[in-house]
Amino acid sequence: MSSDVILVLVIGTALAFDFTNGFHDTANVVATSISTGAARPQVAIAAASLLNFAGAFISISVAATVASDVVDAGAITPTIVFAGLIGAIAWNLVTWYFGLPSSSSHALIGGVVGSAVAAEGFQVVIAEGLLGKVLIPAVVAPLLAFLVAGASIGLSYRIVGRQRPGIVSRGFKYGQVLSGGLLALAHGTNDAQKTMGVITLALIANGSLGAGANPPVWVIASSAAAIALGTYSGGWRIIKTTGTRIIKMDAAQGFTSQGAGAAVILASTHFGFPLSTTHVINGGVMGAGAAKRLSAVRWGVAGNIVFAWVLTLPAAAAIGALTYAITSIFGSGAVGPVVVTVLSLGAIGGAFARRARTGAPVPVQSG
Amino acid sequence: MSLATVVETKELIQTVIFALVAGIGVTAIFSVGIWGAARFVDLSQEDRRAAALAAGVAAAVALLVVMAAIVVGVIVMTSK
Repeated sequence: MSSDVILVLVIGTALAFDFTNGFHDTANVVATSISTGAARPQVAIAAASLLNFAGAFISISVAATVASDVVDAGAITPTIVFAGLIGAIAWNLVTWYFGLPSSSSHALIGGVVGSAVAAEGFQVVIAEGLLGKVLIPAVVAPLLAFLVAGASIGLSYRIVGRQRPGIVSRGFKYGQVLSGGLLALAHGTNDAQKTMGVITLALIANGSLGAGANPPVWVIASSAAAIALGTYSGGWRIIKTTGTRIIKMDAAQGFTSQGAGAAVILASTHFGFPLSTTHVINGGVMGAGAAKRLSAVRWGVAGNIVFAWVLTLPAAAAIGALTYAITSIFGSGAVGPVVVTVLSLGAIGGAFARRARTGAPVPVQSG
Repeated sequence: MSLATVVETKELIQTVIFALVAGIGVTAIFSVGIWGAARFVDLSQEDRRAAALAAGVAAAVALLVVMAAIVVGVIVMTSK
């Protein structure tokens, strides 16, 4: 009975995380389309949320990585997964509050690793999986997007450079409908799978699924719905940072940055790399800007994003570990997770109420 | 445990190659499509019908290739 209560809390928390993931990452998918005028905000967000939903059904390679290649599933309990999720959600909300496009994926993996280490020690971490499937792709993917977007925009300008700007701009805006759609599909595919992976991990830990099992259909469908709803709810604060504060983009840059992001995410998803869509699209945006003119990129804002990136894994891990320590105070039953859930809901409600009262977004430092 | 044994080199290299080819290739072909459309408009206004037709065909073929590349890309991704 107690383990079932914890499992229900884990699934609820995982879906809440998935919602915040979509909410947090809306900017990555739609900011470039909105900032270049290729799509109206509400239309872009609605389309992105539908494609997020569809994308979640495409593949389960990333879910398999999260469920079995990062921590030893045999040593994991639902309470560990719960504490990791709280770490990820807390970090997502902190970065949302400050308008920083940090990685929900790294927050999730950091949170789960942190709580697992707090519970079972470092031997529970699968170092090969964490390094080979998460950390190295985490460094390679944004650099790759930077390179692809930079090379693409250079080639694009060479091909269309002498044509009339009006037609060219209109053409790339139409193209952005396509590239933005593909990016939304890629986002849903890679990001929703992380939640599927975590729920699957909890189901295995609870004995509801066998080791190495794939996510059940209801897990895939509910994860898809949660991320799509989150995306639809949007994160306007981060849209502003990604869409206008890193660089001022033209339609060609928007198209190439989205195309580069989609290509990198889809390729990585195929091989089961749970990378950060945030970092990939920001890498693409910077590549498209830097190829035109290095000074076009607001490197101060870019530096803040890199700072949040570096901080994400350890910060989410620390919160995850702290959460596990708090739940442990109440023993191994359901009381700890219930208390933490109530406290978390109170903190989240307080943060939203404060934001609603103060109104204006917190400015991101630039320089 | 060396770094070489940890990194999934083959998968990582394939990811890099696919992203480079797909990202740069699709953008280049789409740009050719826009170039063709722009030339089609200009040449039509200059009443150079044959050249305009050729530019229009180039634009249409480029856009079809882009659509095909996207469909193939999504199918390949879902095949695993």
